[in-house]
Amino acid sequence: MPPRRQDASENGLARGTFLLLLAPALILLFLSLYPFLSGLYTSLTDQKLYAAGGTRFVGFGNFVRLAGTPLFWTALGNTLTYTALVVAIQLPLGLAFALLLDIPGRLQSFFRSVLVLPLLIPPVVAGLMWKTMMQPQQGVLNYLLSLLGIDPQPWLANPATAMISVVLIDTWLFTPLAAIILLAGLQSISVELTEAARVDGASPWQIVRRIKLPLLGPYVLLVALFRVSDALKSLEIIYATTRGGPLNATRTLHVMAYEEAYRWSNLGRAMAIVFVLWALCYAISGTLLALWQRQEARRYAR
Amino acid sequence: MPADWSLRALRGHALLALGYLAFAFFVLFPIVWIFLMSLKSFGDIIAYPPRFLFTPTLENYVEVLFGGEAERAAGEIPDLLRFLMNSVIISGGAVLVSIVLAVPAAYALARRRTGGARNIQFTFLSFRFAPELSIILPLYVIYTRTGLYDTYAGMILVHQLITLPLSVLILASFFRDIPQEIEEAARVDGANVLRILVSIVVPIARPGIASAMIIAFIFSWNNLIFGLVLAGGATRPVTMGILQSMTFDQIKWGLMAASAMVSALPGMVAAILFQRQITRGLTLGAVK
Repeated sequence: MPPRRQDASENGLARGTFLLLLAPALILLFLSLYPFLSGLYTSLTDQKLYAAGGTRFVGFGNFVRLAGTPLFWTALGNTLTYTALVVAIQLPLGLAFALLLDIPGRLQSFFRSVLVLPLLIPPVVAGLMWKTMMQPQQGVLNYLLSLLGIDPQPWLANPATAMISVVLIDTWLFTPLAAIILLAGLQSISVELTEAARVDGASPWQIVRRIKLPLLGPYVLLVALFRVSDALKSLEIIYATTRGGPLNATRTLHVMAYEEAYRWSNLGRAMAIVFVLWALCYAISGTLLALWQRQEARRYAR
Repeated sequence: MPADWSLRALRGHALLALGYLAFAFFVLFPIVWIFLMSLKSFGDIIAYPPRFLFTPTLENYVEVLFGGEAERAAGEIPDLLRFLMNSVIISGGAVLVSIVLAVPAAYALARRRTGGARNIQFTFLSFRFAPELSIILPLYVIYTRTGLYDTYAGMILVHQLITLPLSVLILASFFRDIPQEIEEAARVDGANVLRILVSIVVPIARPGIASAMIIAFIFSWNNLIFGLVLAGGATRPVTMGILQSMTFDQIKWGLMAASAMVSALPGMVAAILFQRQITRGLTLGAVK
């Protein structure tokens, strides 16, 4: 079809129309810049949440103070541990689920409906559900372990096991997301390719390892992007179960910031924590996003 | 050789069956267990070893939905019902506002092929990266000053942070799938963009719009932190209500289980009825 108008055919919509259609949504969204910037200023003051009276400008005082607070470093460590565990567990498990659901069979559509269920349950509710199941004395989880001959675990009640317990709840909730994305990746691989390998005598395992896994690159990145960006700012599951305890074992930066504001009324200091976390989130998630973008661009170019 | 082969195949099948079983157990057990718990009497709940067989009762549901005897006598609305109502108003309102703004925005993003358009799309995506408190803690100060704290309008406004980027990204992915020839034909006939959008694109993209609305509603419904910071007694959403009632009555597991089931209902119904659209929406349209 011959180009009708230069602008319309090369770039799609004309620029004016484009901006006009986009404006209302963008304006509403960028309203959030105002609280964001005012929060940035707050992080440079000693503002209290509840107390009236004036606030003082303290420059980078809050940040300097944070650097000298051991709990801050604990919380930073917890945030990174949580995120690393989430990715290290959910990627392989999600891949296992995806490979399982990629095998044609009669029950597949049922399994796929089942798969999305946890994703649609409020994280707080999931936290409370698991908290009841993880009760050390009466919880059903320890009962099930006892059937397998495994000793009862203290789960959320012990500093040594609290972190992995919270990650386990996160894993139950969000591994399905990893599985959905990776399954879509597996199904985008052309049947001719795997069929040809099968005819050449490749075993199912070889087909997975040599053909399917290498082609999953962009999808693995997408899973990492989604899960890392959420895990870095995790708060709801932790708030519903341990509130950062026991002995700060699950106190992440986001939880610490919330407590600093609402428990200790130190809004200025809370905002300082939030912006450290914010920088961390953008640095890590931004890198993953850039990597994914590059892979996608390469795929479109092909 | 054949005997060996069939033995291996059998072992493969057994392994596969075991895999499916483990998968189904992992995903479903917590939901089934809490569902069973919601149907148990207090005695059955605290029994150890846990009871898998028991006489089911609806008393937990009756209490959370219609109130205890004292509340019923006083003619009060039970807390959970009020929280549910708040959540319906907030999430429903937020989705309606979002979809009106997101349809034109997503169409614009889907139909302009420039670097700028792509960058704006990634800006929408990057809203997911920000820790919520970076916006809503300062917003708390602003809301208490302007009187938006603990109001439906204030809650609907702040929920745009969830529902709007989500709707735009999902819709843009669906709009891209619509072939442009029809629109081209309409344009030649002299229809303007708004007309094309309303009478051609929207009707074709109805499943996409449904998908965006369902996902946006569920994510807004499931959110805790906005309510925790910006809602008080008048607009308290269901997620916060459940957490709060649990903190005060640690031992009322049956009520917790029933409330959990009720609050997770929108998500679970959607999961069963709209599985395909949801799968695509959950990945923000990045995966079809």
